[in-house]
Amino acid sequence: MIRIGCGSAFDRDRLDWAEDMAYSGIVDYMGFDSLAERSMALNQLRKLEDPGAGWLRRIDNPAPGFDPRLGEIATRLAPYVRDGGTVIGNFGAANPEAGGELVVDRLREAGATGVKVGVITGDDVLAQVLDRDLYLPEQGCNVSEIKDRVLSANAYIGADPVVEALQQGARFILGGRLADPSPYVGAICHVNGWALDDWDRVAVATAAGHLLECGTSITGGNYADPPYNEVANWLNLSFPWCEVDDDHIVVSKLPGSGGVVNERTTKLQLTYEVHDPANYLTPDVTADYSQAVVRELGPDRVALSGISGRPRPDKLKVLVGLDMGWKVFAEISYGGPGCVERARLAGDIVRARVASRDADIIEWRTDVIGVNALYGESLEGGYPADVRIRIAARTKTKAGAEIVLEEAEYLPISGPAAGGGRGAVNLQRAIGVTPAFLPREDVPLKVKVHTV
Amino acid sequence: MKLREIAYAREGDKADIANIAVLPYEDADWPRIREALTEDVVRRKFGDLMTGTVTRYEYPNLPALNFVLTEALGGGVSLSLRVDGHGKSYASLMLDIDIDG
Repeated sequence: MIRIGCGSAFDRDRLDWAEDMAYSGIVDYMGFDSLAERSMALNQLRKLEDPGAGWLRRIDNPAPGFDPRLGEIATRLAPYVRDGGTVIGNFGAANPEAGGELVVDRLREAGATGVKVGVITGDDVLAQVLDRDLYLPEQGCNVSEIKDRVLSANAYIGADPVVEALQQGARFILGGRLADPSPYVGAICHVNGWALDDWDRVAVATAAGHLLECGTSITGGNYADPPYNEVANWLNLSFPWCEVDDDHIVVSKLPGSGGVVNERTTKLQLTYEVHDPANYLTPDVTADYSQAVVRELGPDRVALSGISGRPRPDKLKVLVGLDMGWKVFAEISYGGPGCVERARLAGDIVRARVASRDADIIEWRTDVIGVNALYGESLEGGYPADVRIRIAARTKTKAGAEIVLEEAEYLPISGPAAGGGRGAVNLQRAIGVTPAFLPREDVPLKVKVHTV
Repeated sequence: MKLREIAYAREGDKADIANIAVLPYEDADWPRIREALTEDVVRRKFGDLMTGTVTRYEYPNLPALNFVLTEALGGGVSLSLRVDGHGKSYASLMLDIDIDG
């Protein structure tokens, strides 16, 4: 039996709730997910700003390509790992080696001497993808045809290297693109003595990881829809934790925390980001959730059963990150009679002015927030009291995106009447993600263990 | 009657694909949700928001329906210019579908 908790669902998730979990005395293992689909490409860009540099040599870029919270996580969780707890996550992102250096340093500063840090590398498969000129099914072409736009290629890797690091005694384990449930799968299989080709059990471990990996999504987040689904206490939510053993997954939250774990929150998380429930593919297993049974055992205590598994896919999924230019957004509000028409006019004005300059526009979009921003023509309401026009563009260059921002900035004084509240300005890289597939033998993984 | 009165839902995204799970509050409503919520009904509701296909899957024991919508997120959140590139708000559009009372 293992008790394992969640510490993070994304790379800006809250650390206070991770600390609550670590020091609850309930869990011996914690899993952290730091990555979204675009994260590897963005982290790769941050790493490239610093070619060859580890974190120690940098002051202006303290996290070149790994989770920016990593140093603080190591410091705040040092007593937990010193006293026997284990932390596993994909916070290495595009630069697990440099992240590992930082973790060792921070654990040493915090007095966790003797703790072993495991660093997993090998998920960066850019060289293999370019070498083999892989076919990109969603692009309908080979990599070489769009080579100048390729930023990153990372294979989703599974629990094998996690188990290897645990067997070597590591208690702070970081990798790059470990699949979201795999840090949990590694810990669960290691503690329970489950073989990684015991497919039914690996599927059980995967389902438990699936319940945990999105943090508060199962403890009351993204759930309340009064008066139907309600959350009584929004303060001090808890990340979830699970007990896992043979045919036994029970999910719960910390005693005294806000939020809720019930049948509904558990079903919502089980089905989250799953396509065909009978064939949920991860690097570890082909999991079958279709016959899942969810049952409330008591307050904030829910059991999941009926999970089975079949052999894992032969090939690993690779996500290739593509440079698709820049995205730019700006908004301004109009209110009262005629506000929708003035908002649309503002969008037209900016578009015409941008078109008269050389802004390298690839794609242009305007939404009237309050009218059609979320659902287009699919849902209609009455005439609103006020609206915001949201101007969005994708450009080839950053300079082009800045032209859009400049023109949006002139709206209050040289646009339609009574426009106010200009803001929500945002300029960011546009990243395309597209899948490819590599045989496992083309993705050799390495585990290196350092002692603090 | 709106589906929201008898069911709840959540959306998840992977690249340009959205999945929306729909779950009845009461098991007694499962048969009529299952009958009413066809792939065609969902495809019509999402209209111009998507250009791909709708595929329906079932979890008979939860019970739940799961709809997978392809080419449904304006290229996926990292590329899309939409306000909600993740499509999280799609759950509410799904619950706006009319069901015979």
